[in-house]
Amino acid sequence: MQLINDGIGVLLGLAPVAALVALVLAGMALRNQSSLLQNSRFGLWMFWAVVMLTLPQILSWFSGFGVPVPVSAGGGTALLNLFKVDVTNFVNQFVVGYFAPVMAAWLVLRGVIDVAEGRNPLYSILGAMFLLSIASTQALLQGWNSGTKFATADVLAGLWTYTVSRILPVAAGLAIIGAVLNFAFGKPAMRLICCGAAFLTVSALWRLVLSMM
Amino acid sequence: MTFLNGITNLTNWMGNVIMPTVAGLFFALAVIRYARGYPHQYIAWSGLMCLMISGLLRGIEKFASQAAWNNPDLIWITLLGLVNWTCDVFMPVYAVLQVLQGVLAFGGVGHRIYHGMPWIRHFAAAGMALALSGLVRLAEFFVRRGVGGIS
Repeated sequence: MQLINDGIGVLLGLAPVAALVALVLAGMALRNQSSLLQNSRFGLWMFWAVVMLTLPQILSWFSGFGVPVPVSAGGGTALLNLFKVDVTNFVNQFVVGYFAPVMAAWLVLRGVIDVAEGRNPLYSILGAMFLLSIASTQALLQGWNSGTKFATADVLAGLWTYTVSRILPVAAGLAIIGAVLNFAFGKPAMRLICCGAAFLTVSALWRLVLSMM
Repeated sequence: MTFLNGITNLTNWMGNVIMPTVAGLFFALAVIRYARGYPHQYIAWSGLMCLMISGLLRGIEKFASQAAWNNPDLIWITLLGLVNWTCDVFMPVYAVLQVLQGVLAFGGVGHRIYHGMPWIRHFAAAGMALALSGLVRLAEFFVRRGVGGIS
């Protein structure tokens, strides 16, 4: 029984590390899908990152159901602790510190190839930026963790607010640039202009939907 | 390094550095297409818009900030502002342009003197090719003056 408890403690201790890996996979999916939310691969990995960061809070629901779960991370035998430290070091030093920047560099190269193949390089560039900012993104997500049973939803709500209030107004500028370039090359431009306006009013769209209910 | 910093700097770099530079290329392409008798107006407008990326964004921001962010009517107010601007600002300016074109047509420009005639086109294209920097500076001047609004 003690071994199982120790194993749970080690796995819980590794949850933030798993979140980092999920964020790296999200960055890779961002390039592969050429979309933030279509097909949901990027969204799926972001969701798993959030779940991993809020795993102790999710497990605390079981206490409410009358099933006590040992939710404290850490403890265990020296061997298990060594395993945890090794995995943490591997992810922090190799995956995040070394592998992700190298993959970001490859994505920038991929962006150039995208242009040569007549595709939009934006998602490769955004994917590269996402991979370079893994550590700060994880810190951002952890900052929204309320520590309550509702932590997962709280982090997702914080992510939504951050995306709508910080990222999308900047993306509106990119939409205008895309519209001008599309207009210059005889491609549809009006939808990007509308998209830019919509990026600036997503909160109001949400309120509008709420008020219609 | 944060994602927000990256995307903000990318947008600023594209909008304030690359697009104004590309504007010169678009004006040059417009002159070449005009000289060859191809459609050229859209690329000349693109050159002008490349100089106005910040202004276009600020314009949309202005339309989208006429009410509080959590006001459900913001979508309608934004659309209303756009319609009002089109009808009250853009259409009068368009009317002036149409009057000007009417006067020119009455004077024979467009049929007796047709700017698409090969000899006029080539001389005009030569003039514009030699004065391309001046044309870009003129466009920049108009954009800079536009900051103060129409007076």
